[in-house]
Amino acid sequence: MTRKQKQKLSKVILEILMIILAIVFIYPIFLMFINSVKPFGEVVADVIALPTKIEWQNYKDVIDKMNYPRLFINNLVITIIGILGIVAFSAITAYILDRRRTRYTRIAHLIITTPMLIPFQTIMITLLKVMNVINLSGSTWGLGIQYWGFGIPMATFIYCNFMQTIPKELDESAVIDGASTFRTFRSVIFPLLKSVTATIVVLDVMWIWNDFLLPLLMVNSSPATKTLVLSAYAFVGQFNTQWHYAMTAMVLAVLPSIIFFILLQRYIVDGVVAGAVKG
Amino acid sequence: MNKKKQAVETVIFTLPAIILVTIMIYIPFVMSGYYSFTEWNGIAKQPTFIGFDNFKALFQGNSSFLSALIFTGKYTILFMILANIFALALAVVLVKKLRTANLLRGIFFVPYIMSMTIVGFIWKFIFSQGFEKLYEMSGLSFLNLSWLGDPNLAFYSVVFVGVWQSVGFYMVLYIAGLQAIPGDVLEAAIVDGANGRAKFFKITLPLLMPSITTCVFMSLTNSLKVFDIILALTKGGPGGSTYSVTLDIYREAFQNNNYGLGSAKSLVFFIVILVLTRLVLTISRSREVDV
Repeated sequence: MTRKQKQKLSKVILEILMIILAIVFIYPIFLMFINSVKPFGEVVADVIALPTKIEWQNYKDVIDKMNYPRLFINNLVITIIGILGIVAFSAITAYILDRRRTRYTRIAHLIITTPMLIPFQTIMITLLKVMNVINLSGSTWGLGIQYWGFGIPMATFIYCNFMQTIPKELDESAVIDGASTFRTFRSVIFPLLKSVTATIVVLDVMWIWNDFLLPLLMVNSSPATKTLVLSAYAFVGQFNTQWHYAMTAMVLAVLPSIIFFILLQRYIVDGVVAGAVKG
Repeated sequence: MNKKKQAVETVIFTLPAIILVTIMIYIPFVMSGYYSFTEWNGIAKQPTFIGFDNFKALFQGNSSFLSALIFTGKYTILFMILANIFALALAVVLVKKLRTANLLRGIFFVPYIMSMTIVGFIWKFIFSQGFEKLYEMSGLSFLNLSWLGDPNLAFYSVVFVGVWQSVGFYMVLYIAGLQAIPGDVLEAAIVDGANGRAKFFKITLPLLMPSITTCVFMSLTNSLKVFDIILALTKGGPGGSTYSVTLDIYREAFQNNNYGLGSAKSLVFFIVILVLTRLVLTISRSREVDV
């Protein structure tokens, strides 16, 4: 064998090993899927075996019992309100902080980005008190607004770093042409921030959609405001011996994320990398 | 535009962000500081001021907080080591031009986009039902151990599930770092006669330091805050062997209704995180090299 053939062979062997590793790695998720379409008897008898027939009844029952459409809409409302506020407030704040360098903006920058150092668990006890007082607890829109406060520090930080790379001449010429500050931001700056906005949207959608602790504190008391993950958590606890229902609830909870990932894999991976490096 | 108008505009555009972080973060933070010096069950009208009693109680022998700190420390160390080694190993293989590289990267990343609570439940099912059946089929004795029921094993199970969930995240960061290493540097090393191992340890690894800093830092803060996975997998058991600091803060405040003591714990936790992250950043930044 020549050296080249040897290299080729070792590459094939490596690839086969990686494929086996990946199959073992993903096997638990596969097991969750196959057990979610088995009747109860088959789950008890053999969790490994493939289902003899697909039992969609599990899905009908669980969607009904969990009130899935309601949960899905709740998650959408919370995530959309959260993202819109974080992006809008952070982008314009970063624009102003970067372009108008004064003592005020230096202090404002510090005030807005320092909370990245404070872990959520440090403030959660008293946060609940404050939110009760200003009536933001107990509703999906209120929870969405709360994410503004928690998302703005990191988003502003990332936007600020990117603003430095945008040439000042672009917005200065718009101002000379008579455009207002907001107009300049909206039609000149914000379109240039598109790639960072994508990063922030990806990071924050993953965070808000799957978040557990903040929704647990704020919207867990009523079935009308619960999120997907909260409801799946309660459901699995309640049906912890009826694994076929539990599995179905778990699939229903993660399916939106998995579809989101398959459709937008490139953007999600790029966004996650960009966010971690800049954040 | 005159200067005064511009100054007013600056304030108006930045004020919403300042108000929001003040309400959601600074006010609760200051209140936590105040409550940590009081005894309060959340029902009584006024908290009673008790000075440093809460902080003294935290560090007494039978305090659940101390054992939670020890568990969290052990969890963090093992998680950081395993997550970074496995992620780096996967990244090194998956930057090679394999036919299925993209698909494989996607597969290892999938658990990271799922809710950690559900990840905990999936593994609870695998450890209890799945392992039992796999043991019957294969006879491998490690499958017959009580991975969630035995205090020692439960610790490793929790770390394992944590690593499984996020190894893909650190992997994509390392892949991005590896791809940023200039090819001519590696080629020069080969021309100079460096073998594969020397190339990796003498060239690749030092040039990868910025990625390593990022990953070590992220894995540190994420593992110190571990909560969802443990709540779903073990609820802190068996016998408190997987009881994390965040779980302890949560229980103290919202189940035992000791808001004062809970606040004191949350403040100590904040200081621990702050000191450790500063320390790790300083150490790893000092090891970064320039190309």
